[in-house]
Amino acid sequence: MRTKLRGITIAILTTIIMFSFQPTVLANDGKQRIFDEAELLTDNEVQQLEQLTYEHSKKHEIDFIIVTTPKAGKDIKKFVQDYYDDNAPGYDKPHGNAVIFAIDMDDAVREFYLAGFYKGKKYIDDTRINHIISKITPYLKDGNYYTAFATLIETGSEYAEYVPGIDPEGFYMQTWFHLLAAIVIAGGIVFFMAYNSGGKVTVNERTYTGDFRVIHRKDRFITKSVTRRRKPKNNSSGGGGGITGGGHSHSGGRGSF
Amino acid sequence: MVIHYKCPNCGDDMAFDTESGMLSCASCGRTDNIEDFSDEFITTTFSDEEAKEYNCNNCGAAVITDADTSATSCSFCGAAVVLADRVSGSLAPDKVIPFQISKEQAMDAFKKWCKNGRLTPKGFMTADRIKNITGIYVPFWLYDLHSEADVKAKATKVRTYSRGDYIYTETSYYDVERKIDLTFQKVPVDASEKMNDEMMDKLEPYDYGSLKDFKTPYLAGYLAEKYNYTNKDLFPRVKSKVNQYVDQYIRSTINGYTSYHYENKHVNTEERKAYYCLLPVWMVYYDFDKQEHTFAMNGVNGKVVGKPPLSMQKVMAWFSGIAATTFVVLKAITILVGGDLW
Repeated sequence: MRTKLRGITIAILTTIIMFSFQPTVLANDGKQRIFDEAELLTDNEVQQLEQLTYEHSKKHEIDFIIVTTPKAGKDIKKFVQDYYDDNAPGYDKPHGNAVIFAIDMDDAVREFYLAGFYKGKKYIDDTRINHIISKITPYLKDGNYYTAFATLIETGSEYAEYVPGIDPEGFYMQTWFHLLAAIVIAGGIVFFMAYNSGGKVTVNERTYTGDFRVIHRKDRFITKSVTRRRKPKNNSSGGGGGITGGGHSHSGGRGSF
Repeated sequence: MVIHYKCPNCGDDMAFDTESGMLSCASCGRTDNIEDFSDEFITTTFSDEEAKEYNCNNCGAAVITDADTSATSCSFCGAAVVLADRVSGSLAPDKVIPFQISKEQAMDAFKKWCKNGRLTPKGFMTADRIKNITGIYVPFWLYDLHSEADVKAKATKVRTYSRGDYIYTETSYYDVERKIDLTFQKVPVDASEKMNDEMMDKLEPYDYGSLKDFKTPYLAGYLAEKYNYTNKDLFPRVKSKVNQYVDQYIRSTINGYTSYHYENKHVNTEERKAYYCLLPVWMVYYDFDKQEHTFAMNGVNGKVVGKPPLSMQKVMAWFSGIAATTFVVLKAITILVGGDLW
């Protein structure tokens, strides 16, 4: 009995020791989401990003995918669309929820494109994409690719927590605006209370009116003028979203570095 | 000339009673209908130097008044007296609305009003330092007016629609003409120099249903003033008062347009009739913090006007309360839609 108990204790201890000496490879679903074909990252960085994107992808059920290419050979937007059509990524199913970032390292191009599909489109809309782009562009310019991609995943994941349609960086989300609004509203109400403390005027135009007649009324049409202006178009250069050749609609935004 | 009301029963002084609307005797309880109170019991005496000094019929003491007072009470024996020459001839009022709120009711209503002041200092709300409450018949002119307004305006209707790649904005221009005819009845303007115009305007409206033909006994027991300004003097004031009403009527007839501006606006207001009328006002004088505050109360419906003192403490409390609540609500909404606390 005694030896048996000791045996179990040793077994447990061994297991604990074994696990604590394991290298930091944590649980993962085995799906690849970082495709560093342009070799901008070290192996270690790729692994860390895989881990990061796995955690955030799982959290929102949207795959955050990063593709780097030494030479896309076509417009970067088209590249992303084709990538989605051909590789059928998606957290929930093929051609499912995904946010795809692709970067073309071709010296003559140096452009990138960020797109959201399905749930990714709903939560990472054009406005949010533009915020993300302006956050990561400086890092890309510095060649700090790892930080840029990590920022992209973390910011995208943070934005995905907001109700769709809200601009997370909008002024109405800022503390200074809440303070200002609180002060203006309270000031207005208190001023109104003080102003009315001396009694209000309680008569209106009807109080003393006897008769009211319209004797003469004329509404004559003279002329009309028509002006026209072109409908504001989504940047035809590729800014904003679109529809892939396979018929998948997406949000999007591009930039260069 | 001084008018004094003697009770036909017991000979004591009579005064107007708000509850019954009659002349009543405090000693024996006799009440008399003012419309048919016999002249026999109204003693009037003429003195040679009327305009300067009046003598009380009751006790003979000099009645001391200022130049505008037309009714008061003898400071010596307390008998209600009306200075007849100040309510006769060109100074004779056409109409009067008798007091319908007694002194006690006025006091209670005022105390209640003080308690409702959300920004007034605590000490003020108890209303225990009311210095004086006086019922005054304030002279008013009630104007019957006829206004004609003639306007010409340019108006536009704007419609936008899209067709193809373009957004079209279609603006239609119209000539608009209106001629309206309006009558106003009994628009009041206070005719006493002493009374604050803004305060008197806020006391409106008076219930004209209780408007009575003027009889001197209504004034018994109250103060009354005579007018300082004639109906001609005050016509510009009543005109500006109704002009804003006319504007509102004009605007109500021009609708369906996106925008319009007057090219020509002509409003002509003329007086049809002006009644000289005495309206009942309770004046409350209240000492607070070494300052005297004056309030006026409509003697028919009890509406109180006048600036009460503001408590900085309470203002700050309300301000911070509302600001904090608003801030928390906004933050809560932010968090609900996914934002962070900061």
